[in-house]
Amino acid sequence: MHKSAMSIVSIVFCIFVTCQSMASDIEKSEDDWSDDDWSEEVVSPWRFSGFAEAGYGYLLQSNIVQTNSPLSEITARFNLDYSAESFELVSKGELIYDDVLSNTFWKTRELHISFSPSNNTDIKLGRQILTWGTGDYIFLNDLFAKNWQSFFSGRDDQYLKAPSDSAKGTWYIGDYAIDLTWTPEFTPDIYLTGERFSFYSPQAQSIVAPADSFSVQKTKRAQWATRVSTNRNGVEYAFYGYKGFWPTPVGMTENKHQSQQLQAYFPKMNAWGASIRLPLAGGLFNVEYASYNSIEDNRGKSPTIANGQNRFLLGFEREVIKDLTASVQFYLEQTKHFDAFIAHSPIPKLAVDKNRQLLTLRLTYTALQQKLIYRVFTFYSPTDNDGYLKPSITYRYNDLWLFSAGANLFWGNEKHTFFGQHQQNSNVWFRIKAQF
Amino acid sequence: MKVLSTALLLSYSFLSSFVHANDLTNANEIITNANLAAYYAADDGSAQARMVIVDAQGNKQMRQFTILRKDQEDLGNQDMLVFFSRPTDVQGTVFRVVKKVTSDDDRWLYLPALDLVKRISAGDKRTSFVGAHFFYEDVSGRNPAEDNFTLLKTDDRFYTLKAVPKNTNSVEFDHYIAHIDKNTFLPMQVDFYSSQGKKTRSLAVLKTKVIDGFTTVMHSKITQHSDGSYTEMQFRKVKYNLGLPDNIFSERSLRNPPKAWLK
Repeated sequence: MHKSAMSIVSIVFCIFVTCQSMASDIEKSEDDWSDDDWSEEVVSPWRFSGFAEAGYGYLLQSNIVQTNSPLSEITARFNLDYSAESFELVSKGELIYDDVLSNTFWKTRELHISFSPSNNTDIKLGRQILTWGTGDYIFLNDLFAKNWQSFFSGRDDQYLKAPSDSAKGTWYIGDYAIDLTWTPEFTPDIYLTGERFSFYSPQAQSIVAPADSFSVQKTKRAQWATRVSTNRNGVEYAFYGYKGFWPTPVGMTENKHQSQQLQAYFPKMNAWGASIRLPLAGGLFNVEYASYNSIEDNRGKSPTIANGQNRFLLGFEREVIKDLTASVQFYLEQTKHFDAFIAHSPIPKLAVDKNRQLLTLRLTYTALQQKLIYRVFTFYSPTDNDGYLKPSITYRYNDLWLFSAGANLFWGNEKHTFFGQHQQNSNVWFRIKAQF
Repeated sequence: MKVLSTALLLSYSFLSSFVHANDLTNANEIITNANLAAYYAADDGSAQARMVIVDAQGNKQMRQFTILRKDQEDLGNQDMLVFFSRPTDVQGTVFRVVKKVTSDDDRWLYLPALDLVKRISAGDKRTSFVGAHFFYEDVSGRNPAEDNFTLLKTDDRFYTLKAVPKNTNSVEFDHYIAHIDKNTFLPMQVDFYSSQGKKTRSLAVLKTKVIDGFTTVMHSKITQHSDGSYTEMQFRKVKYNLGLPDNIFSERSLRNPPKAWLK
């Protein structure tokens, strides 16, 4: 193991010991519960918390990636917040030893200030997590950065959302809330590069794992997103707009440095959409639509730039029996200008269906006073004939210790489809977390 | 003559308090008063709460939160916000409820790590509230229209009522017996029974305090009899009639908690 790995192990060990002693303090204070009144707490504007976590995952099949462990890391998280009368400062950072990258580094997860310059305005500036839309693991109008490496490797769900350095303003006018986010430098998804997982390359027509040699032309231009939302008698309506780029590099362009060679890049994309969410039949029903306009390829004729799409989602969730909640979603992804797309596709037989469809099922069962949670999430595409099964078990031993284990299992008939390309990325994982 | 009759009436009612002629005999009237006392004290209120959750092995967990409540009208719809401060992994989590008398409640949970406003489906009212032995319904109040009540007994201290759910499929119990304090109308002990007549779950009020004229539960406990596990809930800094503005009971408060009202 690296020297730096040793040092982070010792840091994490210290955190664990501190956690243990804090836990015994909690025990002590609880024992004083017979006292009639609580002892007055010292109210400080500072708040410190965090956790230490170790995670390990293992690929179930031989794969062309360098490692057979897509997850092998130790993380120490530190949260330090400051709360004042007129503003709130949030900072969250992580010291990570990542064995996949053989590196120790600091990652700032969030660092933002929020304040209300007027009665009906909220502003949040800095590195932040941005989320909206109604989908469950399916995103239509939420074009904020996602971390697919985390999602596929079994890290906690919170890491599916990657932070972006943005300014967000929210205005409350009557019953309406208007959000506007500005990300001065476009923040793409953290997509697969080949370090942890392999993927299908349409150019190579095979599964590849380029890792360091996967070069992508970055863009430094701004990204805008807006939402207008309202709630009428428990029915939530929202309208969305987006001006920016595709969040993954779905275009190919000439390499600026080595002509003759193509390089992946983020084509421009604008989108608009709407969603409704309401209680129905003892559960929750949601519907969402988004129109993606791939403006560099308006007519769908360029084979090197992704076509525009219509995205449509229907969802329903309800508790089936006590402590068992089920949710189902139907998702449709329609390629705009499909005829032009096929006519200009170099390999039409590998092209996605005009109406790619996806069904998802989520089951969540809680036991032992919600300390034990079984989850399974399945994606199944009848048009691609592939799928993705994501089972997990989380056990909360107490407020300090959390254990979880799970798997990411991909299947498909062909190696070029959305989930089918990941068959060799199927993995199992476990994590241990101590919170303080 | 009118003066005389009033005087007579007054003396009669004075005497009656000794012979319990003032006791209520209508079960629904008692339940209405109990509902008012337990869940609709004043027009609004705030409180800090903590729960200690103890499992069958004696392992403890803790939850600490601040509650804001506002009644749209007495015995009617209510708005509620719950801001979690402990343990650290739920810090910043906010729970919002619009309790509705004639339809399902609207409920949302804000998860700060994902900046996600998650809506919770209404069907699972009798699901554990954040891992405690308290159900969502115990926190926000079970709608009296869901049960049929009969008055079993009246003694010096309590009205004892039996409640049978109208829809037995929606709940895990067969019936419950509530002991309602005759003076304050607070349910001091509620025992839930299975169809075999076995006591499965009990809610006990351990301490009350009069705050601004409202008798308030300060400490209560729910016990699961099958394994002896329990949750204790304690309140402090209880305040009433704060004049909470309507607009803080909105999605805005999930992301931007109304600090002025949370002290």
